[in-house]
Amino acid sequence: MSRGGVQRFTFVERVVHWWVGLSFVFLLLTGLALSHPRLFWITTLFGGGSTTRRLHPWVGILFAGSIVAMVALWAREMRVGPSDRAWLRAIRHYAVHDKENVPPAGKYNAGQKLFFWAMSVLGVLYLVTGIPLWLPGGVLGLGPFYGSTVNVMRLGHYLATVGGGLLLIVHVYLGTLAYPGTLGAMLHGSVTRAWAKLHHPLWHEEESGR
Amino acid sequence: MMRDAPSSSLSIRRVSGSPDPAPGIRQGPEYAKLVDISRCIGCKGCEVACKEWNELGIEPTENFGSFQSHRDLSPDTWLLMRFSEAEIDGDFHWLIKKDACLHCEEPGCLYACPAPGAIVQYDNGIVDIDQDRCIGCQMCVSGCPFDVPRFSAETRKVYKCNMCVDRVESGLEPACVKTCPTNAIAWGTKDEMVSLGERKVERLRERGFARPALYDPSGVGGTHMMYVVPHGDRLEEYDLPEEPTASPGALSALYGLRKLGAPALGLGLVAAGLHYLGFGPQEPEEES
Repeated sequence: MSRGGVQRFTFVERVVHWWVGLSFVFLLLTGLALSHPRLFWITTLFGGGSTTRRLHPWVGILFAGSIVAMVALWAREMRVGPSDRAWLRAIRHYAVHDKENVPPAGKYNAGQKLFFWAMSVLGVLYLVTGIPLWLPGGVLGLGPFYGSTVNVMRLGHYLATVGGGLLLIVHVYLGTLAYPGTLGAMLHGSVTRAWAKLHHPLWHEEESGR
Repeated sequence: MMRDAPSSSLSIRRVSGSPDPAPGIRQGPEYAKLVDISRCIGCKGCEVACKEWNELGIEPTENFGSFQSHRDLSPDTWLLMRFSEAEIDGDFHWLIKKDACLHCEEPGCLYACPAPGAIVQYDNGIVDIDQDRCIGCQMCVSGCPFDVPRFSAETRKVYKCNMCVDRVESGLEPACVKTCPTNAIAWGTKDEMVSLGERKVERLRERGFARPALYDPSGVGGTHMMYVVPHGDRLEEYDLPEEPTASPGALSALYGLRKLGAPALGLGLVAAGLHYLGFGPQEPEEES
């Protein structure tokens, strides 16, 4: 690499990441806007209440597509193995930057893998609970959806949103402030050797061995 | 039932999608319609009066084997006389229902609506949609236990009977009441209409009806359109839900929990900030 680093993500991987990420942030903000009267002002940022309501489900479809692309791209690499269990047992050491006591990670550590699978599951949840809210009159032979159903879906959609929002905060924090040098992997695609050695030692060995 | 009723105030008692209490402080009289189904002759004059007063579009219809004018309510049809056919004691009967907004005391549509001010309840009991503030999400449609509000794909807003709020405000009765040739629809304060309804039920019983009933369901806190139902044991056949509720299923759980979501996300941000202050960034060693 021209930067003397290691290539971590291909162009396609970076595009898919931002496709997932930007659509999710849009959905999180517009969803929160419609979830509570005190947050309704957020709709102003997206062209008002009606526009927010119209855009949200269509961006949701975009997001669902991005989750499919994400799973297609990374599912193999994200398989959880025995070494991941060991890593998870040491997560409290990981959380306080005590790297000595954390088993060395490969290209992805167990936390990243679980984040990946959590977002994939949430993606399905958003879609399943979102469709009755989008088209309460029914769609594709399903519905109409009555109040009792719609309200359960609203509750599920909301809880999934809060869960996804919390995960996003952790993800962005770790990828920027907590671990400097990480963001570049998703911008220009490469990280420094020192970064790779620190955060993903096994992957670093693999890459160096080539 | 028309008389010199004091014009009612449009002080707002309940408002959708608002974090703050509704601004209404006046306590005006509460009004109600009382539909005596036993007196209805099925002329549909009320449907026409509704269209005329509210200047609603004319919709073509077809013969679908019923005396009913149209199949369903629509953004342009806020009132529909539904004709259910039933055989009672060997005789043919029409179980007619004046299908329109019941103006619930506890309005499911208003509770379900996320758009600030899109649905209001005035202190006279009328539940009204302000289409200008409606965002077209249709939560009110599924929130209504009576399946009344109708979404217009054209304007992407929801419409329903507004109890001729402009007439009521001026001390007039709604157009359907005014036009009814048999006085099957009465208009007055809620208290008056409840006692009138009870008297009518009693009279039906004297006339030999086994189970006449006043339909003023408590699950929605009572309604501002009530029915005198001759066959009170056949509510479902009249298309009147037995036990309608204002917030079915998980709505109250959602409204409790949604107070915690944004604070939870805020706490998440604070936690990330504290973590940074406590443990700082983990920098890789400089490249050699």
